[in-house]
Amino acid sequence: MAFTGNYMCTSFKKELLFGVHDFDLANGDTFKIALYTSSATLDASTTAYSATNEVSGTGYTATGQALTNVDPTSSGTTALTDFEDETFTTATITARGALIYNTTPNTTSISVTNPSVVVLDFGADKTSTAGDFTIVFPTADATDAIIRIA
Amino acid sequence: MIPDAKGDTLGFKVEVHTTHNRGFTPEEIAERCADKIISVSDEAHPAIQAQAHAFKKRIVQLVGFYLREAVKSDRTTVYNALTDAGHPELAELIRRM
Repeated sequence: MAFTGNYMCTSFKKELLFGVHDFDLANGDTFKIALYTSSATLDASTTAYSATNEVSGTGYTATGQALTNVDPTSSGTTALTDFEDETFTTATITARGALIYNTTPNTTSISVTNPSVVVLDFGADKTSTAGDFTIVFPTADATDAIIRIA
Repeated sequence: MIPDAKGDTLGFKVEVHTTHNRGFTPEEIAERCADKIISVSDEAHPAIQAQAHAFKKRIVQLVGFYLREAVKSDRTTVYNALTDAGHPELAELIRRM
């Protein structure tokens, strides 16, 4: 069994406390999303980007694409952030899930390379054929945002 | 949400939208845009829901219109770039799309 759900990586939670990740739109880190086949085994224990079982095909380059950050905010007592939807254009690919990771982490206090953030499970193989492959992130609110600290 | 130490799965749903042998239409993208702008709770008062849905429908129409305008304007830019590069036939194909 490959993907088993959406996970916030445990290492990411620890790294937050070390100040590794900055989600600011203007001056924050560069986060990327890489796509994976159903053979990949990604879950909460995933600590960093890996090319193993990464998708290949027209319109997709290994390591994936950079995401557009959305400034962190809060709703009630929950802090949250989001990313703009990401599209792989003119792509012929099949992916079962994805990994969001940080390509420019702050390594002042801890040594990390391409540390993982969130594992995404698409629920089933998703395919585009000479078309667009768009990941639509959930509503950025206190109950659905992709990254929340309650 | 920061889940508990057991690493339970997060309670959100990531959607994937794909196309085959074409791109997304302005209408499809406008729907996605409206979904980002307006979300209507199933628990909201029916009158509020109706008002929100009506507003969302108007947003879809408006965003769809301006997306189509952007596509048409970009084709004009591409037409001129191809013409300037010495490909008038290709430019004409783009203009007729």
